[in-house]
Amino acid sequence: MEITKELKPIHRGAEAYLYLIDWFGKKAILKHRLPKKYRHSKLDTLLRRRRTVAEVRAIKEALRIGVMVPAIYYVDPIEAIIVMEYLPYPSLSGIIEGGDLEKAIRASEQVGRYAAKLHEEGISHGDLTTSNVLVGDHVYLIDFGLASLHSTERDNAVDVHLFLRSLESTHPEHVDTVFRAFLDGYRSIRGEKTEKILGLVEEIRLMGRYKAERRTLWGQQ
Amino acid sequence: MVNVDTPSSLGRPRGNPRVLYPLLDWDREVLVLGIESTAHTFGVGVASTKPPYILSSVRDTYRPEKGGIHPREAAGHHARVAPEVLAEALRVAGISMNDVDAVAVALGPGLGPCLRVGATIARGLAAYYGKPLVPVNHAIAHIEVGRLYTGLQDPVILYVSGGNTMVAAFAKKRYRVFGETLDVALGNLLDTFARDAGLAPPYIVEGLHVVDKCAEEATEPADLPYVVKGMDVSFSGLLTAALRAWQHARSKAEKASICLGLREIAYGAAVEVAERGLAHTKKNAVLLTGGVAASPILREKIGIMASYHSANAGWPPPPIAGDNGAMIAWVGLLNYLAEITINIDESFVRQRWRPDEVEVPWR
Repeated sequence: MEITKELKPIHRGAEAYLYLIDWFGKKAILKHRLPKKYRHSKLDTLLRRRRTVAEVRAIKEALRIGVMVPAIYYVDPIEAIIVMEYLPYPSLSGIIEGGDLEKAIRASEQVGRYAAKLHEEGISHGDLTTSNVLVGDHVYLIDFGLASLHSTERDNAVDVHLFLRSLESTHPEHVDTVFRAFLDGYRSIRGEKTEKILGLVEEIRLMGRYKAERRTLWGQQ
Repeated sequence: MVNVDTPSSLGRPRGNPRVLYPLLDWDREVLVLGIESTAHTFGVGVASTKPPYILSSVRDTYRPEKGGIHPREAAGHHARVAPEVLAEALRVAGISMNDVDAVAVALGPGLGPCLRVGATIARGLAAYYGKPLVPVNHAIAHIEVGRLYTGLQDPVILYVSGGNTMVAAFAKKRYRVFGETLDVALGNLLDTFARDAGLAPPYIVEGLHVVDKCAEEATEPADLPYVVKGMDVSFSGLLTAALRAWQHARSKAEKASICLGLREIAYGAAVEVAERGLAHTKKNAVLLTGGVAASPILREKIGIMASYHSANAGWPPPPIAGDNGAMIAWVGLLNYLAEITINIDESFVRQRWRPDEVEVPWR
């Protein structure tokens, strides 16, 4: 990709680089999925194309059902490029670290509602961590790179689990209050279904690698 | 068949234990015997605090004539070959049981009946010769012997074998598992496909897996499901899809493209999760280990991935990367120096003993 050669990435992920660019007078994020020479070129091209399209579809669906996400300005599936709205807001992770617990709790409740709305539509985010939530006047979900449009209940439980795990690994002292707010938001949309998802979350946590973790976080000591 | 490795056949380890394990006392001369029997290999090795560190590694691998590993038959094999393997390991090291300071054994993870053979022999040796018994986690043994041979100080680890596929890295006193397979292990995927497609046994021909061999004829990989979920991989859908495509394949070229597709997706997914681990932990090295680390194709891919992140890549020689007794002896030595031993009556085998359950005192 020619234009990215001139730019300096603002974030280097394993899969993609993010660049801050000027898009017809607006600040924008350009996300470029990098070619990987360790994969066969045909497979690599196919994967980057599929993932780019899947990400844009998930963002579009999220927007349709009232989940705040960055607006998509431009997509090039061949080059695996997405240009989207730049959101100059701190992440939920940063808010918690900054100590504004009240704001974090309000945002977390909104994330719970967002997750529930997505799940009701069969969409899972795939990487729902506190770093992928931006908090401004609205709460935004970002990075739908691992989203699925045909999610199962287990995929939904994985979203909930990932959110909980990201709280535990980076902000262990606030897990209970912040996660409870998330669940309040989730329950307000999904009602009884919530308990079923929580049962699956527990199953995931008891499977293999998660089993040593705390087992009773949502109050049923 | 017995495989015998000596310090000269293994090559000199690149790592310096004084640098890798500064907390341990390397001035003492200590010898530890290690016993491996977690799966299809029964191995015994001897490790020392003094160069060349690994004094011997002798192993005998159970190879079923058809089908996969039957745990009870593998255990029978281990019990049959144990006396010879043990005697040979001591002979090659030039020591007797009386010279040994401790007996180490892999208590897990692995197949129950196989684990019990190694544990029974280790308990017997420890009791009869009055030596302390040292418990070793098999996955941590792969990692630490890999560090010894490559000299990588703090790598992200991709451990791929017949029974394990995981991405791990050291953080807060433990080897944390960042990603793993949700179902089938990488080696198991390749072997099961090869067996059910009629390509194996033998599984390895001229140093290459038969799936790699079959893929050589192809140019285009077949389109098969590629499943990476966050840091985890899943291979069961790939195996089913590849076998189904194989049944319908008419020409040799079509079959070759299925092999290439399977290989590229399996290796590609494993390397991708290792890359995610590397980007996430911001470490500067990758260690490839386990039986599948013998694959030159996987090594090349890991090398390319590491270069994207200006990281070093390394792998131990194949007899050390695959299951062996020397790696158990090596971590047995580290544990012994850190004063970790176990009473015989508490030395139960642990089939699902995860590396992140073990606190590592030597780093």
